[in-house]
Amino acid sequence: MRVAVTGLGPVSSIGIGPAEFAAGLRAGRSGISEITSFDASGFPRRRAGEVRGFDPHRSLRRLKPEHWGRSSQFAAAAARLAAQDAGLDLDRLPGGPERAHAVIGTTSGESVAVEAFTAARVADGDGFAGIDPDLVAQLPAGRLAHGVSEELGLAGESVTLATACSASNYALGYGFDLLVSGEADVVFAGGADSVCRWAHAGFFRLGALAAQDCAPFDRDRDGILTAEGGAVLVLETFEHARARGARIYAELLGHGLNCDAKHPVAPEWTSIARCIRIAHQNAGVGPADVDYVCAHGTGTPANDAVEAKALVEVFGAALPPVSSIKSLIGHTMGAASGFGAIASVLAIDQGFLPPTVNWSNPDPELAGVDPVPNVARPATVRVAQNNGFAFGGNNSIVIFGAVR
Amino acid sequence: MTALRVRGLGVLLPSVTAPDDPSFPDRPVHAVDGFDVRERLGRRGTSFFDRTTALAVAACADALRDAGVDAGAQQPQDRIGVVLATTLGSFRSTSDFTRETLVQERPYLVNPMLFPNTVMNCAAGQSAIRLGLRGVNATVAGGPVAFLHALRYAADVLARGYADLMVVGAAEELSPHRVWSQVLTRGGGGAACGESAAAFVVGRDDDGSTGGTGTRILAAAAGYGPDGRRAEALSGCVRRALDRAGVAATEVDLVVTAETGPDDHGQFEAATRALGHRPRHRQVTAAFGDCDAATPAVGLAQLILNRRARPEKPGTTALLVAEGLDGAAAAALVRSPQCR
Repeated sequence: MRVAVTGLGPVSSIGIGPAEFAAGLRAGRSGISEITSFDASGFPRRRAGEVRGFDPHRSLRRLKPEHWGRSSQFAAAAARLAAQDAGLDLDRLPGGPERAHAVIGTTSGESVAVEAFTAARVADGDGFAGIDPDLVAQLPAGRLAHGVSEELGLAGESVTLATACSASNYALGYGFDLLVSGEADVVFAGGADSVCRWAHAGFFRLGALAAQDCAPFDRDRDGILTAEGGAVLVLETFEHARARGARIYAELLGHGLNCDAKHPVAPEWTSIARCIRIAHQNAGVGPADVDYVCAHGTGTPANDAVEAKALVEVFGAALPPVSSIKSLIGHTMGAASGFGAIASVLAIDQGFLPPTVNWSNPDPELAGVDPVPNVARPATVRVAQNNGFAFGGNNSIVIFGAVR
Repeated sequence: MTALRVRGLGVLLPSVTAPDDPSFPDRPVHAVDGFDVRERLGRRGTSFFDRTTALAVAACADALRDAGVDAGAQQPQDRIGVVLATTLGSFRSTSDFTRETLVQERPYLVNPMLFPNTVMNCAAGQSAIRLGLRGVNATVAGGPVAFLHALRYAADVLARGYADLMVVGAAEELSPHRVWSQVLTRGGGGAACGESAAAFVVGRDDDGSTGGTGTRILAAAAGYGPDGRRAEALSGCVRRALDRAGVAATEVDLVVTAETGPDDHGQFEAATRALGHRPRHRQVTAAFGDCDAATPAVGLAQLILNRRARPEKPGTTALLVAEGLDGAAAAALVRSPQCR
């Protein structure tokens, strides 16, 4: 059983919908701006990748935004866009709605609702009794997938994978497995997260927040920028896609998962190298087949060095170009590898490599890495590898291929 | 879905108590009595554990020991993974971390060592570190249905050959945040809030191994009922689970539900509609309180513990069901050994 990618739904700071997002990638557009979603005036660093153009009332057809948190809204809006892009008639799925699943990844779930809950508690002298029950109802992270199922009327499994910053790749991998094992005909897979004050504070205190720009693989890179959005892909069996005459962007060839089991936040390069090999084996490809790596590429000094070391370990001198779209949109947390997946699929479909912007100086410690500096590059991409790593050592890598 | 065999379990069950803390509402709770992380897991590496993580790590360690698996950071295992169920991780950790950004002189004066606790995969990640488990490591957020989602996830990992064994579990800690959330959304009625953790070492039923608890998860199904059709979704899950397991509805002699109050029989009714008969009904929350994501895990643990306590009794084929938020529903068929 082969798995087709037939729809793309990016809700990002550089564009909502696949056409705008692709144009943003090609132009190397930056989605970074001064924070407006919370009062950031007390922070020394005040930039993030907010999705300013997002209007849930315009993006959602069935979901009532007032009952759902921002991350669920992102997930549902991204899934709606992906369904439209795929041309799926959701009322007439041949296998019925029970065989259409929603698998959504996230780092912080409804972080903005948690923040509002906490602010209400602080405002009430640290009491809980006066908090609005409608706000409490928005807290559970499982609602991200439920928002997708509700918006699209899907009756299959509705599962939220909370595996932090690689969660979208986990979702794509689980979607892949549900399709190849015959459990599903269609899976909406991806992730969502929202910009919030506490993640901004946490990354700042870890010393991981960039002062101005996110500059992955640059010698002087100084960290991430927190960001948000929703990224959902439509996955179908080839059989299902072909029977309805769908356009197939790319094939999802396989994926790999493992765990560092070493440190709660610091990544481990031997474990990542092992994960790359697991993914290649699962996808039936070798290092020589891979034309492009969409890096996790957070832009912290340590993370990029670890990722590069693992890539060089597996690929040797034949390392293909490696770029990080976090330079454009920031670190969208649980959505990050979903955006990476969409970028990988667009790279295959449209024949270009997304650039790593903000790049000025090579880092001698990253010898062998071609980061596609600053300008998108035309290229034939037959196989793309999308990396996702996370707190908890949760590594997940997904491999896409051109349709043969 | 591949049938699973439960090779071992670890469980921390709560008992009724009155919280000795004015930030809790004035009502009884179910707490894991006398659990102390340092006593249980030692001082090293545990000083920043929140209670959810500590409970989860302890349950996973117990489960592996019960299964006879030698696990530890000194001998890492690439072929053993973890999947844990949650609602939103440690709500207390996240909310209290957020609180610091609001009440400190500067919003960034948070303790960076506590930041990982705000991320929902903290418990699964720490379980892996502590026990040297380098296989697939996942966290499923889904409240009451999450543990059944986790069973499905583990079955997939095993069926696809990504791991040889999975530790599947759930943990929810007691906190004023959780108790108040239940009180605020349910208007004070229903079961008392509970904390607990349970973990199970599972392998494929057809992997040739024997022993363990002898209990098997024959099938699990999950679904969603849009537009308020959750009960319909639950009935559908029951039918699919029976179908996949090749079990006749008449063989089910116990339905274990996660209803949040003693007067609520909604899950039992939806299950019996699909079964076509009314077997015995057990509400997990009646004995252990509403443990959110841990409720169905405690239900499974209770089945296995009862079996161990009374091995001479005939086995059961139990149906475990749960409804989550919105339209989420799930069901699993569990068979204890020496069953007809």
